[in-house]
Amino acid sequence: MDWAFMTHYAPYFVNAGYMTVFISFFGVLLAVVLGLLCAAVEITRIPVLYQIVRAYIELSRNTPLLVQLYFLFFGLPKLGVVWSAETCAIIGLAFLGGSYMSEALRGGLEAVPTIQHESAQMLGFSKAQAFIHIILPQALSTAIPGVVANVIFLVKESSVVSAIALADVMYVTKDLIGMYYDTYESLTLLIITYLVILLPISIVGTLLERRFDYARR
Amino acid sequence: MTEQTEPTVQTEPTVQTGTAQPSGKNLEISHLVKQYANADRPVLDDITLTVPAGKVTVVLGPSGSGKSTLLRTVAGLEPIQGGEIALDGEVIASGKSGNAKSGRQQRSSDLRTRVGMVFQSYDLFPNKTVLGNITLAPTIVQKRPKADAEREALELLGRVGLADRKDAWPHELSGGQRQRVAICRALILHPEIMLFDEVTAALDPEMVREVLDVIVELADQGLTMMIVTHEMAFARAIADRIVLLDGGHIVEQSDDAERFFTDPASERAWQFLRTFQFKRHE
Amino acid sequence: MQGAEILLQPGVFPRLLQGLWVTVWIAGVSVGLSVPVGLLVGWLMTLRNPLIRILMRIYLDFIRIMPQLALLFIAFYGFAQAWGWNLDATGACVLVFVLWGGAELGDLVRGALESIPKSQYESAYVLGLSPWQTFSRVILPQAVRRLLPASVNLATRIVKTTSLAVLLGVVEVIKVGQQIIDAHRFEFPTATLWIYGVIFFMYFIVCWPLSIVARRLEKRWAHD
Repeated sequence: MDWAFMTHYAPYFVNAGYMTVFISFFGVLLAVVLGLLCAAVEITRIPVLYQIVRAYIELSRNTPLLVQLYFLFFGLPKLGVVWSAETCAIIGLAFLGGSYMSEALRGGLEAVPTIQHESAQMLGFSKAQAFIHIILPQALSTAIPGVVANVIFLVKESSVVSAIALADVMYVTKDLIGMYYDTYESLTLLIITYLVILLPISIVGTLLERRFDYARR
Repeated sequence: MTEQTEPTVQTEPTVQTGTAQPSGKNLEISHLVKQYANADRPVLDDITLTVPAGKVTVVLGPSGSGKSTLLRTVAGLEPIQGGEIALDGEVIASGKSGNAKSGRQQRSSDLRTRVGMVFQSYDLFPNKTVLGNITLAPTIVQKRPKADAEREALELLGRVGLADRKDAWPHELSGGQRQRVAICRALILHPEIMLFDEVTAALDPEMVREVLDVIVELADQGLTMMIVTHEMAFARAIADRIVLLDGGHIVEQSDDAERFFTDPASERAWQFLRTFQFKRHE
Repeated sequence: MQGAEILLQPGVFPRLLQGLWVTVWIAGVSVGLSVPVGLLVGWLMTLRNPLIRILMRIYLDFIRIMPQLALLFIAFYGFAQAWGWNLDATGACVLVFVLWGGAELGDLVRGALESIPKSQYESAYVLGLSPWQTFSRVILPQAVRRLLPASVNLATRIVKTTSLAVLLGVVEVIKVGQQIIDAHRFEFPTATLWIYGVIFFMYFIVCWPLSIVARRLEKRWAHD
């Protein structure tokens, strides 16, 4: 191991890590919002919107992010839609993640037993009151493990954005290997960077699961 | 956690006698028909029945006789296709043929709080503590001050012997304790009638007693109640009026529980009661 | 809609299909090899031996937490240098997908085996079944029902992940697409849109039926 090389290039990985976190953060945020909207449409089965959401979910789940990104970044400009690489990456992650988040959240909502709706009704709650105070907390509790798994999945998927020239962790690694042939050092830094980003998410996820596990007991 | 925090609160369910003050209202069911969309015959067919104020009406019957469905129609959880249900003279449900699809009926929040119900399966809100479960509806639906709701909740918990469990989570309680909390949660809204749908059916035998004792206490206080149960000894002790359902029809009605259990009028009632007796064949 | 004629140029569509075949081939071989690896890993994970348990844990957790692209880099660049393996890009892809698929499938196998209640073993025992009869007639059929839907989903994920092969230089459907785009750069400036659009739907057409099969299996077996 060439320690001098590693300490010299570590800051590059810190910056690249920021890029990965930046893209992932906004991608995940949009994915959760999109997922909630889709889950709501799926449960209420609003005509037309329901069919659109189903089609979106199938397209999103059955195509690779890389191809989605190439289409957004290289294809869409031909239609006059020109987005920066960052925007494409965030939209791509949200497009991919929305369907996964929707499935997790819908699963949580559907897992709330009918009797909970019925008792809420018998106690006089309006639909909105019952949803906010009784149904949603239980649904989120059930959905947490799925949502956390999706967050980790999306951060990992973000490694693909190097393909549209965003200087994320993968991009820097490939650059260093190409320039200096210090393969081990670069790969070690790559592994460390992803561990530093992903392990805390995984740990926080486990803590959240424990804290809000009332609907699963 | 389980420390006794309120020394003034009694921990055993007690029977308060002498304070009997009929606190409920009459419930009148007339010619009620309940039919599901794809069924060839109704679950409930032309049921006419009075649940008198301040009295306990026990509904008995084999499984599938429609007794739980009857409670659910009163509760507004099932729309009815014929007849009507009136509470204190006010029609709260009337039959419309055609709306046969299952689903909850549209009822005002205010009306729903007038009918209390406890279910067979535990239905406490898992995301709320015992106190949170009981105070949620009074504070959110009835907009009562939180302190007021909590004071009454503690009083109710004391009456069912659970004051020391006020901060427990539902999953930390036994089945019997959960059902007692569910009863408090319904009582705090001061319902005019309480419906109990086989509330002890899912309990271990040794927990049945603690729940039934609470219901007996409520009966002594003159709360109007409609009870579906499989506990024959309990039914015999508590009932002012017994209704036997079979195949969606009322086969026998009696205001003398003792008589019903020892010398029922109908052959069907004999048959039904015999299913609870066992004899070795010589 | 101008530019769509690129798809009708002689050779364009057949070449894309050939590229798709490479994609499907890599995915198919990886899925096929993942099955025995997964069964082995799953069985190892149910063993009580602490050393094996720890090793399997590390293997599974590392594979799970690393992005697949990072794993590909490690295999392609790292292994070559470490052991002088002359691993070509396709080989690196298959190796990574099998290690990854085997880990995921192994965890599914473990979960399926462990989810069978103890009472199933006990009922079989008191009924007089031999251990092998218990496994083959009672446990395995139940385990497969829990396993199969998730395995089909895993196959879908492997197909999608095959797209990363282009980043190592494998000439598969995306690479072929890029070559076509480059070759017709001046003739058809909007080729990018059409070619990537077609590749998008090609992946969809391969993955969608798999998703449907997985969902059908899940539904059919959900209730028993």
